[in-house]
Amino acid sequence: MATTDAPPLPSAAAPARNIFAELLSKYGLFAVLLALPVFYGIKDLRDQGDLSPLATNIFQGLSNGSIWALIAVGYTLVYGIIELINFAHGENFMIGSFVSAGLWGTLGLTLATGPLGLVLGLLLTLIVAMVTCGSLNVMIEKVAYRPLRSAPKLAPLITAVGFSFILQNVGLLWLGGSPAGVPDLLRAQDEVATIIGIRVQRADILAILVTIPLVIAMVTFINKSRLGKAMRATAQDPDAARLQGINVDTTISLTFLIGGMLAGAAGLIYALYQTTIWFFQGFQAGLIAFTAAVMGGIGNLKGAVLGGLIIGVIQQISDSRIGSEWTPAIVFGYLVLVMVFRPQGLIGEETREAG
Amino acid sequence: MFIRSKAALAFAIPALVTGLAACGDDGDTAAKSTPNAPAAGGGQATGEVNVYSSLPLQGASKDQTNAMVDGIKLALEQADSKAGGVTVKYESLDDSTAQAGTWDPNQVASNARKVAQDRKAVAYIGEFNSGASALSIPILNQVGIAQISPANTAVGLTTNEPGSEKGEPQKYQPTGKKTYSRIVPRDTIQGAALVTQMKSDGCTKVGVANDKEVYGAGLARLIEIKAKEQNLTITSNAGIQKDAANFRGVASKLKSEGADCFVFAGVTANGGIQIYKDVAAALPDAKLYGPDGVCESGFTNPEKKGIPESVGKRFKCTVATLDLTSYPGGQQFLKAFSEAYDEDNPDPYAIYGYEAMRLVLDTIEAAGQAGTTREGFLAQLFKTKDRDSVLGTYSIDENGDTTLTDYGLYTVGPDGDPKYESTIKAAS
Repeated sequence: MATTDAPPLPSAAAPARNIFAELLSKYGLFAVLLALPVFYGIKDLRDQGDLSPLATNIFQGLSNGSIWALIAVGYTLVYGIIELINFAHGENFMIGSFVSAGLWGTLGLTLATGPLGLVLGLLLTLIVAMVTCGSLNVMIEKVAYRPLRSAPKLAPLITAVGFSFILQNVGLLWLGGSPAGVPDLLRAQDEVATIIGIRVQRADILAILVTIPLVIAMVTFINKSRLGKAMRATAQDPDAARLQGINVDTTISLTFLIGGMLAGAAGLIYALYQTTIWFFQGFQAGLIAFTAAVMGGIGNLKGAVLGGLIIGVIQQISDSRIGSEWTPAIVFGYLVLVMVFRPQGLIGEETREAG
Repeated sequence: MFIRSKAALAFAIPALVTGLAACGDDGDTAAKSTPNAPAAGGGQATGEVNVYSSLPLQGASKDQTNAMVDGIKLALEQADSKAGGVTVKYESLDDSTAQAGTWDPNQVASNARKVAQDRKAVAYIGEFNSGASALSIPILNQVGIAQISPANTAVGLTTNEPGSEKGEPQKYQPTGKKTYSRIVPRDTIQGAALVTQMKSDGCTKVGVANDKEVYGAGLARLIEIKAKEQNLTITSNAGIQKDAANFRGVASKLKSEGADCFVFAGVTANGGIQIYKDVAAALPDAKLYGPDGVCESGFTNPEKKGIPESVGKRFKCTVATLDLTSYPGGQQFLKAFSEAYDEDNPDPYAIYGYEAMRLVLDTIEAAGQAGTTREGFLAQLFKTKDRDSVLGTYSIDENGDTTLTDYGLYTVGPDGDPKYESTIKAAS
């Protein structure tokens, strides 16, 4: 009896284990991502009977995260095409903020400026910031990356770090070492409306209204336009692309131009949104945005946006519920878990190796 | 710990010519001190000693610290670089870096080591920030060099009173001997002063945030303790990640707690401007308070990239400095300072720099020949009793603390700089 009963035991346990492992790999990621919101959602319901505090956290997180998303798109764009982590991207974004704030001064934009002057002034600032940062990025590519295209991968990585520090020092010389308040031109934290208990501020509208169209335009450009197709072809196989008559150097320059322009736009929005800028903001934001790009799936534009938004929400929940001092640990804890469950990122990589 | 502003401005320099005992006409005005110090030895002491200061001359506190250096130099010039017959040489060191925009740990340690290795060094004036002093005190303690801070307020640097951390202050004194003293009242008094002010302004629920440094975290603990004593509710005391892009999450937490007042225990460089902006927006009716860490023009003045005017209108802060004219020796100090530097309205911290050097000079003189040695100087410094100084009459107690207790209350003046309002007499 004993001998006849024994065999089924392991075979029954094995499927159970398999099913568990399968469930874990299939839904573990969702469980991880939803852990914080669900926990605090239940807490809110129990404590005050509605979910408005959690909804506020999530909304503010999406608003913050959309700026990270804008920067992350620049990282992921460049990584997707030449598989280089452009460390100088964060600093380029910082320069975007500095150029914007400087231009406000030159144009005389102040809190007293009327709506028309403000719109025109900010539009001009946006163009200047985008052109400056785009050109800067193209210049960096030409000087520091292109000559090293066939060099070992560590070489351009180091030049990227080098440029990052150079730009950081430019920022330091420009505005000094302390965070600097800039005019709150949009009265960023004025309340526009309260919707189901969520306080919507001007800054939130600005961040979301600028980020979504820009990202949609970017995705459309890359998917539909001729140049976008050239970019994708270059990303997949530069040699084959060259054989098809694509000018790879120009395509790569274009990628850096677009990435830089996005950084410039993000720089302006950041200055309007936070109303405080400093030379180190690029390092912080760059680190978060790079994390977002990896979390979403490096090389994948939609992944970068998703990663940025998720990190924004995690930060906000952590800041408001757990404690601001724990936020970096929680964000990176999340990154580790996401990577464990999905090494290719939430939406999947789009790189040469990933195909 | 220190910090503060170019507050002086708006000082009604006039009035208040309190009968300030006259002093020499050339400006050896103030401080004739250490009355009961023994005039050691027979003849006049001779020799040469070196005195250093280590202060953050760059960043948000530079207005205060550069004024201090001017005050130090003024005291030295008035004495013709002599303490009795001893020649005193002074060198100003910078404990900040442009990169940090505030004091830098490596720079602090480097300054302290440099001085420790100078055989002629007897005194070290510094640091401005308590966190910085926590690093330099042990280095100087090991070689027995007396340190006098003109600005530190963190309680744990000198005592184990509530608000200090475990192991303080012994951990700063590896030799077991005390070598550190200060001429500003510690945070036990500032915490009480802030709570007293908040209560009298009608605060009922106070949200606290701190920057987690020696000064900020310690002061936040003290505010909690003092609030409890005075029956004022503290809704929460949150440590912040100082380089976060913004603190809207922290602000929304304070809002959900129903805070009607807010105080940030920290320094400008550690997210000070951003957190006040975010809290001010989330709590549009809350009153905002700050300690000396943010009571400086680099924080309050929009022209100097500080908080916007709309936030400044709701802000009050405390500093160990008063209106210069409120000090017993203030008028004469102002006159001498103005003559020396063509600056009629110096930052109030100038007088602390001045007094620190006066204390050094008088201590050397009082100690006689022993004043040219580290041991002799140190022993004499801790004998300071009922010293008649520009700041008023004070003693250095056995912990190295001053017996002065006054804190000044400041608002933001029309020019954006901190403006002296009144003196808070808070019981410690």
